[in-house]
Amino acid sequence: MSAGHPDGSLLPNAGLVARREYVEKIRSRAFAVATAILIAVAVGAALIPIGLRALDRGQITRIGVVSSDPAVTARVVDLVSAYLNPVPPGADPATVRGHYRLSSQPDLASGLANVHAGRIESLLEVTIGPSGGLDFTFHGNDGPTSATIQRLQVATFGAAVVEYSQSLPHTGPGLAFHLPSFELQPTDRGPSVAPIDPGATASRTLLASVLVVLIFITLTVYGMWVATSVASEKASRVMELLISAATPRQLLVGKVVGVGAAGLTQYLSILVPATIVLALQDPIATALIGPADPGEAPLVGLTLPILLAFGAFFVLGFLLYAFVYAAAGSLVSRPEDIQQLAMPLSFVSMAGYFAAIFGMTAINSSPVAILSYVPFFSPYVMLSRVMLGQVDAWEIGLSLGLLIGAIAISAWFAARIYGAGVLLYGQRPGFRTFLRVAIRPDGG
Amino acid sequence: MTLVIDGLSKRYGQVVALDRVGFRVEPGEIFGFLGANGAGKTTAMRIVLDILRADSGTVTWRGRLSTELPRRTFGYLPEERGLYPRMRVLDQLVFFAGLYGVPGAEARRAALGWLERFRVIDLADRRADELSKGNQQKIQFIAAILHDPEVVLMDEPFTGLDPVNVSLLRSAFLELAARGRTLIFSTHQMEMVEALAGAIAIIDHGRLLTGGPTREVRRRAGRPVVRLAVEGDPELAWVSSLAGVRLIRPGPGISELSVEPGTDPQSILRAALARGAVVTCFEIADPSLEEIFIELVGRPPDDGVSVGAPAAVESAA
Repeated sequence: MSAGHPDGSLLPNAGLVARREYVEKIRSRAFAVATAILIAVAVGAALIPIGLRALDRGQITRIGVVSSDPAVTARVVDLVSAYLNPVPPGADPATVRGHYRLSSQPDLASGLANVHAGRIESLLEVTIGPSGGLDFTFHGNDGPTSATIQRLQVATFGAAVVEYSQSLPHTGPGLAFHLPSFELQPTDRGPSVAPIDPGATASRTLLASVLVVLIFITLTVYGMWVATSVASEKASRVMELLISAATPRQLLVGKVVGVGAAGLTQYLSILVPATIVLALQDPIATALIGPADPGEAPLVGLTLPILLAFGAFFVLGFLLYAFVYAAAGSLVSRPEDIQQLAMPLSFVSMAGYFAAIFGMTAINSSPVAILSYVPFFSPYVMLSRVMLGQVDAWEIGLSLGLLIGAIAISAWFAARIYGAGVLLYGQRPGFRTFLRVAIRPDGG
Repeated sequence: MTLVIDGLSKRYGQVVALDRVGFRVEPGEIFGFLGANGAGKTTAMRIVLDILRADSGTVTWRGRLSTELPRRTFGYLPEERGLYPRMRVLDQLVFFAGLYGVPGAEARRAALGWLERFRVIDLADRRADELSKGNQQKIQFIAAILHDPEVVLMDEPFTGLDPVNVSLLRSAFLELAARGRTLIFSTHQMEMVEALAGAIAIIDHGRLLTGGPTREVRRRAGRPVVRLAVEGDPELAWVSSLAGVRLIRPGPGISELSVEPGTDPQSILRAALARGAVVTCFEIADPSLEEIFIELVGRPPDDGVSVGAPAAVESAA
């Protein structure tokens, strides 16, 4: 519509269209069913960390110990093992299976070789000083804040004390106690990233996968809602009445906002029970798998920043896809034909989804970084980067900015296609029609 | 103060939907817009409504370009009827009136008034997909006029209505016109045009064939029609032997004959009397719109076959 046209403003018509769309959508049975299913999925996702902790409990971490003196090595193995694998009061020590298995390694080279071969997770190198004092170097990928390292530090300090006390002469003053040092030596040669506790990484990767899947499902499903809704207005021929009462821009924006609001309603009705489960995660964990072990990694679940990132990428990603889906819907004569046009679009969506899922293993690589700025992919890829990698605030800002710009462009094109498309009947739906109408909306 | 359609042209690829079509509709007039399927009526109506842009030509109403007029100036009853299938009738009417800027309470009141008038007040809370076709059509007519537009464009408003509803709709037409509203409608039913339309335009293949006040169009056709009945001779086979005379509508009672310009209609009466026939009816009249239509277009108005338009364009044209 030309500037200054009396029908130029979006409101109130876009609002009326959005309200009608919203009411019809949330009253439908399909909406109720889908919401119930998604609530179940979300509550399940919220319980994942508890499941991981239960799994973790059955897992054994293998740590090799090496020093220049096999006797010292053996004593350190015993002491650290006893500390890391405490026997609960009243339990029979013979039946307790510890989470840590310590083993003596003959020398540093073969110990490190075992780490690289994956036969042990990490290697604790004990250096015996000239006065007999011990220092420790940890070869492994656990970060300084991980539960394993924190407990090892305590255990090695204990071992140093015991070793010192045994070296004391029975009479007379001995040497002063050497305060043991504890150094971390990452073993992988990948990019230097602040290491994340492997347990936390596993839990986060799972959670990120769940959120990326959720965003993929909702974008695709809500996008199809928009397309189907446009196409069925065309099929029921109510479109012609609509288009003579309101402008294409009003109809398009109203439709996208209405369906989006219905989607958001669904999203919130999923979020509320999931958040309740998260808030009660510790009591639930206690009830299901018993109380937390001392020093056990805290449950890593949905946090507020993650929820905010998910919310932002969900809303913006939806807007971007919804406008394109609406344009696609306006070109078909029957809702059944949408699949043909939606196919290329779902390929795009799926590419972003796969990039995010497979990118999780190389979350800090530059291809993943680049994809996290590309509008049709960023809702997936940036979300997983936010959860798993190291992202600067400006990167998130740039990604969101590009996404918003892309929404404006796609809305403009969609209004063009929609205005012409809704009056076309009997066209063969296809990508070429889509492009032709986008370029020359008024026939030709 | 008139609706002026001036030199409208519109092409869809190779197909010419409108070719320099122009005519005028006076305010408060009921205007019949005639043409076979695919003639370009719907395209012209869509351009007037500004939901389609012409390649060239303009539409003005009261001196303002239609592209600058608010949408509520017009009401539209499309040929393809459509309502939201699962929405209640009253809700839909209020919704559509809302898009035209009518406040909810006012729309409700007006909608109930019209439902009452069309004897479908009991359908107010029913879903559209529970309604018969005729009732859906009445609801759509109400949707087109609920915001009290200055100009109402209707594509085949009478098709599919039973005689009772046809007469309800006719009286609504007359009342709207009496209130100064301008009504433009297309139809295949020529008797409806003769009864209602003060002026007409006939288009075919996107070109205006004739137009103007109905009476003038009929007179201008210049080809009188003779209605003739002869006792005991319903076939009137002898008529075809008369020069310049053609039997266009044989009937068991009264038959209609067309008379070429230059032929004296009285010659038919003389020929009949010369044969010794008992003439029970002889009337010289202006040709009916149907005859004019057939004459100009080459086929009757309800002949559903459209010519030369590919499927994609047919419904758009």
